[in-house]
Amino acid sequence: MIELKNITKVYNGVTVLNVPELKIKKGESFGLVGNNGAGKTTMFRCLLDLIRTNSGEVISENVNVAKSAAWKSYTGSYLDEGFVIDFLTPDEYFQFLANINGLSKGDLDDFHAYFKEFFSGEILGKKKYIRDLSSGNQKKVGIAAALMGKPSVLILDEPFNSLDPTTQIRLKNILKTLQKDKDVTMLISSHDLNHVTEVCERIVVLHEGEIAHDIQTKSDTLKVLEEYFAV
Amino acid sequence: MLIKWFIKHQWKQTTRSTIFQKNIAVNIFLGLIVLLLFVELLAAGLFLGDKWHTLFPEADPVTKFNGILLYYFAFDLIIRLMMQNVPVMAVQPYLHLPIKKSTLVNYMLSKALLSVFNYFPLLVFIPIAIFQIAPAYGSNIALIWIVSVFLLMLNNNYLLVYLKKQMVGNAKIVGISGLFLIAVLVGDNYGLISLSNVSALIFDKLILNPIGILIPIALLAFTYILNFNHLLGKLYPEELRVGKDKKIDTVSDIKYLKRLGQIGEIVGVEIKLFIRHKRTKSIMYMTPLFLLYGLFFYPQPEFQSMSFLKIFIGWFITGGLMYNYLNFAFSYESNYFDAILTHDIDMRRYFRMKFIVALLISSFCFIVTIPYVFFGADILLFHMVMYLFNIGVLSFALLYLATYNTNRMDLSKSATFNYQGMGASNWLSMIPAMLIPVLIFVLFNSLGWPYIGLGVLSLLGILGLLFNRTIIDYLVKQFLSRKYKMAEGFRKR
Repeated sequence: MIELKNITKVYNGVTVLNVPELKIKKGESFGLVGNNGAGKTTMFRCLLDLIRTNSGEVISENVNVAKSAAWKSYTGSYLDEGFVIDFLTPDEYFQFLANINGLSKGDLDDFHAYFKEFFSGEILGKKKYIRDLSSGNQKKVGIAAALMGKPSVLILDEPFNSLDPTTQIRLKNILKTLQKDKDVTMLISSHDLNHVTEVCERIVVLHEGEIAHDIQTKSDTLKVLEEYFAV
Repeated sequence: MLIKWFIKHQWKQTTRSTIFQKNIAVNIFLGLIVLLLFVELLAAGLFLGDKWHTLFPEADPVTKFNGILLYYFAFDLIIRLMMQNVPVMAVQPYLHLPIKKSTLVNYMLSKALLSVFNYFPLLVFIPIAIFQIAPAYGSNIALIWIVSVFLLMLNNNYLLVYLKKQMVGNAKIVGISGLFLIAVLVGDNYGLISLSNVSALIFDKLILNPIGILIPIALLAFTYILNFNHLLGKLYPEELRVGKDKKIDTVSDIKYLKRLGQIGEIVGVEIKLFIRHKRTKSIMYMTPLFLLYGLFFYPQPEFQSMSFLKIFIGWFITGGLMYNYLNFAFSYESNYFDAILTHDIDMRRYFRMKFIVALLISSFCFIVTIPYVFFGADILLFHMVMYLFNIGVLSFALLYLATYNTNRMDLSKSATFNYQGMGASNWLSMIPAMLIPVLIFVLFNSLGWPYIGLGVLSLLGILGLLFNRTIIDYLVKQFLSRKYKMAEGFRKR
């Protein structure tokens, strides 16, 4: 379980995030939506202990993420291109991560097999540095890397952005499988209401750093959200 | 008036570049260094210009100077090929706008004129013209001579732009031409070939026939038009880009490291980091400069008695490269710093890795410079003491200071004259890092105990090495308290 308690983050006198309480159950698929500047990325950075909050704490599996690094072993994340080592080739990068995560040669082969379709032959064995890949392909590398250690918590920021339609559908299938198995807590942000409502059981709308809506996904959720955003 | 806009944009680009935006103190410091360099060169130029004729009393001074001009232009071209950047990509944001292509090419080519390489040498040439040529041939001829030389410098500038696009930054060709030129120079010195006579002949003719100035004008016009036509046909971003080598390197894939587990794996990534970025690569090319630094001093007997200087040189030789690495230990990784913070990397191992790489660099520098013992056994002793001090004390101090550098570093540009990503802490760390060992030694030396001074320095180093685990634990704590600030700074593009 992940829990945010009294989290605030202030930049230059402006409160960009203010979450008094938020609990995300184990195995829940959690979608975060909101306009630009609503605080989605800031919230994810708090969860990953990448920014110092002005108050409050993030608790993951009963441990404060700022106090201990234990969460790193079971949390996979990809927020932006700063999460991949861009001067390595994808193969080298995956090999590096396999070593970091303590994966065996067989595990790595399984990983390659599992993502073969997702990569659609454009990533592996291509003799290209990650920095020279297109932004869509970079994202594929980042997402696959986040999933590599078989994490029980997965945090993805705008995962559907800049992916081609086929890969978007494949990603949705991967996420849905994870959701069905109920052993991965997923946190996904997106601008695309269609995608999140399809993948997530619970949707939270952020507005100017505060939680404006917190709904369980139902058949009419997409409509509710569209009405909310059509100002 | 497009040109007005271009100039405006150029001005904004310069003043808004990160280096100007950063820190006033750093800018003042940098400004002072540039000023100092300028004054030094000016003084050297004036001195040389004034005293040139006394260097070769038996030869005609003007002919003698003309004799080196061809060599100058050749070396100038090679140095430019290694160091000068060509601003071809500057036009990219204008390409889709309704602006004539020829205007863009002219803009691009005029921008190339802004390089300092076109102006710094004048600090030597103008005094030569004033003090040597004017008295002998009159000021009109001196003016013609200096204008011709300047035109030929600009010609070199455009020749560089053209060559750089043709050779796609082939370092080997540049290196071979450099060696070839040195061979010619040596041959010239022993009277085997005589390029200097040719050079003297050409430029003496120019002085006797001022109309000859038309030749440099024609040459310059030719190279300009050559570039113009070449670029006009290639005004596409992917064709303009210079030196983009798409081949991937496999050299750095060291199998042995993989067997060392996590720490070997991170060291391997660090080595790839050096090899695959322009900025770090150009620092590696500068290695000989660090290692051969002692040759400026040790051969001269008067330096043998100044032992504090040996401390300084020992510091520089065994620690200079390591200093360069550790000062930016984290900002080199600013591109993917978030990845380091979120992946399951043990921070203590991460710091051990940084320390081990520093240790390897410094040990390499120490071992390959052992031949300095040729200049005296005590030099080796000084180097060894400074080696111990550098790996045991300086290394940890620099890692500590590096946590205060929060500037994102762009590694895709060459390191020469590149201060992007350097913060005040980098500059300030230089002073204590160099001064402290020198001061410790000078203190004991003035009391008449130089060897005790050396002993204290080595002892400090050995203590640092013995307690490296405790120190690294402390550094990790410091790093964890600074990581938010660093990550925030590194994210700023």
